Amino acid sequence: MDIADGLLHGFYVALQPTNVLWCFIGCLLGTVVGILPGLGPAATISLLLPLTFSMDPAGGVIMMAGIYYGAKYGGSTTSILLNIPGESSSVATCLDGYQMARKGRAGAALGIAAVASFVAGSVGIVLLTLVAPPVAAFALRFSSPEYFALMVLGLALVVLLSGPSLIKGLLALLVGLWLTSIGTDIFTAQARFIFGQAPLLGGIEFMVVAIGVFAVGEVLANIEGGEESQLLPVPRGLRNLLPTWADLMACRFAFLNGSVVGFLIGVLPGAGGTIASFISYGLEKAVSRHPEKFGTGVPEGVAAPEGANNADTGGALVPLLTLGIPGGSSTAILLSALIIWGIRPGPLMMQESPDVFWGLVASMYIGNVMLLVLNLPLVPLFAQLLRLPTFVLHPFIFGISIIGVYGVTGRVFDTVLLAGFGLLGYIMTKLKYPSAPLILGFVLGDAMERALRQSLMMSQGDLAMLVQRPISAVMLALAALVLVLPMLSYFNRARVRALAEG
Amino acid sequence: MKRRSLITGAAIFAISAAFAPAFAQFTPTQPIELVVHGGPGSGNDVMARQMVTIIEQEKLLPVRVQVANKTGGGSTTASAYMASKKGDPNTIAIFTVVWVVDPLTQEAAQNRLNDLTPITRLVTEPALAVVRADSPYKTMADFLKVAKDKPGTLKQSGGSITSRDNIVRQLLMKQTGANWAFISFPGGGERIAALLGGHVDLMIMDPSEAGEQVKAGKLRVIAQIGDNRLDAFKDVATLTEQGFKIPDVPQTRGVVGPPEMPPAAVAYYEGVLDKLRQTAGWKKFLAESQLENVNEKSAQTRTFLTAYEGQLRDILKEAGAKVVR
Repeated sequence: MDIADGLLHGFYVALQPTNVLWCFIGCLLGTVVGILPGLGPAATISLLLPLTFSMDPAGGVIMMAGIYYGAKYGGSTTSILLNIPGESSSVATCLDGYQMARKGRAGAALGIAAVASFVAGSVGIVLLTLVAPPVAAFALRFSSPEYFALMVLGLALVVLLSGPSLIKGLLALLVGLWLTSIGTDIFTAQARFIFGQAPLLGGIEFMVVAIGVFAVGEVLANIEGGEESQLLPVPRGLRNLLPTWADLMACRFAFLNGSVVGFLIGVLPGAGGTIASFISYGLEKAVSRHPEKFGTGVPEGVAAPEGANNADTGGALVPLLTLGIPGGSSTAILLSALIIWGIRPGPLMMQESPDVFWGLVASMYIGNVMLLVLNLPLVPLFAQLLRLPTFVLHPFIFGISIIGVYGVTGRVFDTVLLAGFGLLGYIMTKLKYPSAPLILGFVLGDAMERALRQSLMMSQGDLAMLVQRPISAVMLALAALVLVLPMLSYFNRARVRALAEG
Repeated sequence: MKRRSLITGAAIFAISAAFAPAFAQFTPTQPIELVVHGGPGSGNDVMARQMVTIIEQEKLLPVRVQVANKTGGGSTTASAYMASKKGDPNTIAIFTVVWVVDPLTQEAAQNRLNDLTPITRLVTEPALAVVRADSPYKTMADFLKVAKDKPGTLKQSGGSITSRDNIVRQLLMKQTGANWAFISFPGGGERIAALLGGHVDLMIMDPSEAGEQVKAGKLRVIAQIGDNRLDAFKDVATLTEQGFKIPDVPQTRGVVGPPEMPPAAVAYYEGVLDKLRQTAGWKKFLAESQLENVNEKSAQTRTFLTAYEGQLRDILKEAGAKVVR
C-alpha cells in the first residue's frame, strides 16, 4: 500500500461516524486537560485507558491520540493568561505570551497560539505521513554524543534569553543547572544535594520550579506593586480580542520554524516538546529583525514555541509507529494501549495493521481542524477571565498553582517547595534576573549531563568523540556560532559607532 | 491439661480480641496508587497498567487504581516513597529484583524490601541477550570472544548499574575474563534505540520487547538467560547450554505495601491479586509477555525474599560489587 492509497484508506476509517465522534471527544478532553495544570495528557490517557478496551482499536487510538495532541493546544491558555504553564512544553510560551496579555493583547496571543498550533500541528502530520520511515532511520543515528550537542545548542540559547545582562542570565542558568542535579544519579545510584530530605531523592519536579518561578513569583511582585483593581487591561470589542492580520504576517517565519524544529526534535526519542519549544523560540529570536523586543510580548515569540510544541506530536509518533520506541510518557502510554489492543507498533505495523496506522494518521488531520474550530471561539471567552479584579484573580492563581503542583506529584512536600520557588521568582524579579535561563538550565541540564557521561562511557573517556561524529560536530559548531554572533554584532555596532564618530 | 488448654483458649481469645480491629474487613474507599519504579513504557510499567486494566474490567476493586511512576536511583525513589507511606492501606507498589539489590549496594538506599510489607510474588521473567541482526555475533561465545580480545570496546545498553542486565554482565565477565562497557539509559525506548542505531552492541531484553523487532528482522537473539528455552525462541540455546554456567539470577516481580500496612489490607490485596491470577486477561498477558506465573502470599514472599537477598549478596560479591548491608 503506498502513501496515497494508505491515506485514502485512513480517511475512510477516520471518517466513520463513530470514529469522528471519538476524535472529537479526544480533542475536547485534551483541550480541557491541557488547560488544567497538573492533569497532563499521560495521566489522562492512562486513566481513560480501561474505558476503551471494548472499543475497536482504531477508534480507541484515535481518541487517545486526540487527548495527546489536544492537550498541547490547551497548554498555552494558562501560560498566556496567568503565567502558569499548563504543561512543561508550554513554558516557553509564557515568555512572550504573558507579556502580550499584560499589554492587553491576551486575546491576540491566544489566537496566535491556536493558529500556530494548527499550522505546525498539520505540517507535523504531513511530515509524519510522507517521511516517517527515512526520518526514523535518521533518528536512530542520534545517540548520546548527538543529544549532548543538542543540549549544548539549547543551553547556548541562554545568550538570547538573558535580556540586558548576560552575567545575570548566566547566573540564573547556573542555578537551574544546580537544581536539576539534585536527586539520585542513575549511573552510581548516589544521592546528590538532597540535604537529608528523602523526598528529594527523586529530584525536583519540573512543574514545581516552573510554576513557582513564573506564576507565584509574578503574583508576589504584582501584589507588592499595585493598587489597580484589575490585573491586566482587556480591551472591549470582539475585534480587539483576536489577532490582527499584521500579527499573523509577523509570524510567517515562526510558523515554518516551529513546524520544522518541532517535528525534527519530536522525532528524537531523547528530546521532547519542552526542548523543541525553547529551541524554536531561540531560533526565532536569533533570526529576528528586532530581537530586542522578544520577551516584551511579540507574536512571533508565541507562535514559534507553540508551533514547535504541536509539530512535536507528529514527530513523536514517528519512532513510536515505525520503530515501536516511545519518546516520552504520553507516547509510552499510547504504546502500552496499542499492545493491549493486540497491535504491536514497529517496523511491521503499516503492513499488519493498516486500519489503525492510517486511520490514526488521517484522524489527526481531522482532529487538528476540530481543535482550531473548538479553540478560536474560546479565545474571547478566556480573555474575559482577566477582567476579574485582582483580589479575586491573585488568590485564584495561587490556588491553581498549588493544585497544579499537587496534581502532578501528589506530595505536600512539593507545595512547600513551590512556595520556596515562588519566593525565588519574586527575588529574581526584584533584582532583575531573567527567569527563562533558570528554567532552560533546569530542563536541559539533566539530559545534557547524562548524555555526556554516556558518551564518555562509549568512547572510554575520549572527548574527541563529541566532535568526530558529524551530526554532533555540526550542532556544536552551531552552538559556538550562537554564542559568538552576538559578540560580533556588538563589535560591529561599536565599529559603526566609531566610524560615525569619525 | 484441661487447665492448660483453658489458658491457651483464653490467650487465643485475648489475642484475637486484641487483633479484632486489625482483622476487621478492609475495603478501600479512596483511589489506590500503584507505584512503579520504572518510567512509563518500561516492562514493569506496562505490567502495572495491564493489572489496572484487568482490575477495572473485572471490577476486582471498588475504587480506581492509578499508576504512579517514581523513577530515579534504581528503585530507591520508589522504595523511599513507599517507606514514607507507613501504614497507608491505599498505596501499593510493583517490586522487582532491583528493590533487593539497591539496599545491598547503596548506602543511601535505606529501605529493604522486607522492611516494607511484601504482599505477593506474581511472576518470574526470563530474558534474552540480543544483538543487531546485521552484527557478526551469532552466539554468546562469538560476542565474548571479541569482548575478551578487545576489552572495553564492546558496549551494552541497559538500565541502572544495579539492574539484572549489569549483574549478568558482571557474572559473565568474571567467568570468561571478557570485558565490555555498560551504559545506563533511564528509558527502555532509549536503550533499544541505542542498540538499533548501532551505538551499542548488546542488550539484555525482555522477550516481549524483543519479539516484534526479531520478527521484523532488526534484532537477533544470541542467548537465553534463564535455564529453560522459551516457546517463542525454541531455536536459541540458553547460556548454560552454550557452556556459560553462571549463578541463576531469577528476575521476579510482585506487589509490596508500605511498612506496617494493616494485616487486613494485606489479606485484602492477597485476595484481589489471587482473583487477578485467575482472570483470562492476566493469563493472556503472561503468555503474550512470556512471563511465568508465581503464586506466593505475603509470608512465603517474605521467606523467599530473605533467602533471595542472601543469594544475591553472594552473587554481587562474586560479581565484584560493593555490598554495604
